[in-house]
Amino acid sequence: MSAALNQHGDAAQMAAAIRQGEVSARELLTTSLARIEATDARINAFTSQTQERAFAEADAVDARRSALLKKGESLDALGALAGVPYAVKNLYDIVGEVTLAGSVINRSHPSAEADAFLVKQMKAAGAVLVGALNMDEYAYGFTTENTHYGPCHNPHDLARISGGSSGGSGAAVAAGQVPLSLGSDTNGSIRVPASLCGVWGLKPTFGRLSRRGTYPFVHSIDHLGPMASSVTGLALAYDALQAPDAHDPGCHALRVQPVAASLQPSSTGLRIGVLNGYFDDHASAAAREVVALAARTMGTTASVHWPDAGLARAAAFIITASEGGSLHLDDLRTQLASFEPLSVDRFIAGALQPADWYLRAQRFRRIYRDRINALFADWDVLITAATPVSAPLIGTEWLDINGTQQPCRAAMGLLTQPVSFAGCPVVTAPMWPTSTHGMPLGVQIIAAPWREDLAFAVARQLSDAGVAQVKPAVF
Amino acid sequence: MNEALTLQYVKTTAELLMLPLEEAQAARVAVYLQRTAAMVSLLDSAGLSAHDELAEIYCPAPFPAGDPAGPSV
Repeated sequence: MSAALNQHGDAAQMAAAIRQGEVSARELLTTSLARIEATDARINAFTSQTQERAFAEADAVDARRSALLKKGESLDALGALAGVPYAVKNLYDIVGEVTLAGSVINRSHPSAEADAFLVKQMKAAGAVLVGALNMDEYAYGFTTENTHYGPCHNPHDLARISGGSSGGSGAAVAAGQVPLSLGSDTNGSIRVPASLCGVWGLKPTFGRLSRRGTYPFVHSIDHLGPMASSVTGLALAYDALQAPDAHDPGCHALRVQPVAASLQPSSTGLRIGVLNGYFDDHASAAAREVVALAARTMGTTASVHWPDAGLARAAAFIITASEGGSLHLDDLRTQLASFEPLSVDRFIAGALQPADWYLRAQRFRRIYRDRINALFADWDVLITAATPVSAPLIGTEWLDINGTQQPCRAAMGLLTQPVSFAGCPVVTAPMWPTSTHGMPLGVQIIAAPWREDLAFAVARQLSDAGVAQVKPAVF
Repeated sequence: MNEALTLQYVKTTAELLMLPLEEAQAARVAVYLQRTAAMVSLLDSAGLSAHDELAEIYCPAPFPAGDPAGPSV
C-alpha cells in the first residue's frame, strides 16, 4: 500500500505519490471519505460533504495526468496539490452551497454563486474539496461548542474541545480525515485549534491572502490561512493560496512570495527570542515547558518584552465586539432567538458600545503597529505558547491560570490576540508537553510582517528535530 | 460605570437601536459591557495624543519592494 494512503500521510507525500503513479487521486479521495465516514460521528468536524464535486475534481486530476504523460509533457502542470483532499471552515463560499458560518440564520441565504477566492486557488493547484467544517457561530468563539451543529470533539480526547473558531478545521486534520484544511483567524481562531488539536497552522500577515468570498467577522482584523499535518504541507498550501486580489480592500500583497521550494531548517544567523512578561504570566506550566523546549532546540536563551500586550488584547476585544455587533445588528433585531446562546450577549454588548471606545482602540492600533515593527528591528523570530493550557473539557466555564480565575472561552485567546492585532505572521507548531496526559499544546513562531519565510524556517527546524510533530489520534 | 448605570445604558441604547431585550438578557449584556468598559480603561494608559490618527484599512507594514526570501512570481 502506498504511504500516501496512510490516514496520517501529509499533503506533500500525497501529491508526490499521485505524480509518480503510486496512487490515483480517486483512490486517495476514497480513502479520505472512508476515514470521514468511520470517524466523524465521534468528531463532528464536518457540517456537509461535497462528494460529487470531489469525485469530479479527483477524476479530472487523474485524467490530466494521463493526458500529460501521453503527450510527454511535464507533470508540473498538474499543480502542487494535485489530488490532495482538503476541507474548508463553513464560512468559505462553495459554489452551489449555502455558506452557514456556523449559524442557522444563514440557512435562508441563497447558495454561493462562486467559490471563495482561496477555494479557487486550491482548485487551481489541483486540490480536491471534500466538504465544509464546523465552527463557532459567526467565528465568535475559541471552543467550537456550537449549539446548533453540536460541539466539535478533540480527536486526542473526545471529551475535550477542539478549540475554535476553526475547530472543525483543526479536528479534521488531527483525526486524519484530510491532510489540509482552511480556516480563519481574527483573534486566534487558527492558532487555538492548531494548538489544542496538535496540528500545524499558519496565520499569515494581515493582508497577505484575499478574504473575498468568505463570511466576514471583523473586517479590521480577519485573516485566512491553512492548517496541515506537516510543515511541508502547510508551506505548499500557503504558496497555493497566494495571489494579489485588487477586489479585497484588505489584501495588501502585490505579488506572490513562495516559501515551499526554499524551505530549509535554519536558525543560523537568526535572532530568536522568547516572549516574557504578559505571555509568561498567562502561560501554564505545560505551556512554559513547550516554549522552553522550542527555545532550547533553537539554541536561544534570550528573553524579549512585547510592548503593550495587555492593551492590544483590550483593543482587539473592543474592535471585535463593535464590528461584530454592528455586522449582525439587523439579525439581532429580528432573529434574536436564532443566535448562538454562547455568543449572542457579546454581539449585543458590542453593538451597544459607545463610538469613543471603538475609535480609541483603532487609534491605539496605529501606535501599537509602530512599536511592534520597531521590536523586529532587533529580532527575526519570537516564540511563545499559542494557548495558556491544553484542551479543556467541553463545557468548562472557568480556568485557573497561575492562580487567577479566567473565563475559559475568552481565555483561550489570551496569547494569540496581541499578535494578530499587530498583523504579524505566525506558524503554530504542534508540541506535546509531558504533563498533559497526551494532549498537545502549540507554540507560536512569530515573525515581522511579510516574513512568513522566517517563521517557516524555524518551524522546519522544530519539525526536523522531532520536537514539533503531528501525532496520530487514537479514538 | 456601576452595574445599575450600565444596565440603564444597555436598556436605553438597545431601545434606540430597536433591539428588543428581555430583562434577564439586558442584565447579561450589561455584565459583558462592564467587562469591556474595564478594558477601555486600560487604553487610558496608552497616552494617545490628538495627532494619533485612526488605523487606516489596516496594513501592518508596506509590502516590500524586494524579496528577501527568494524569487517572486
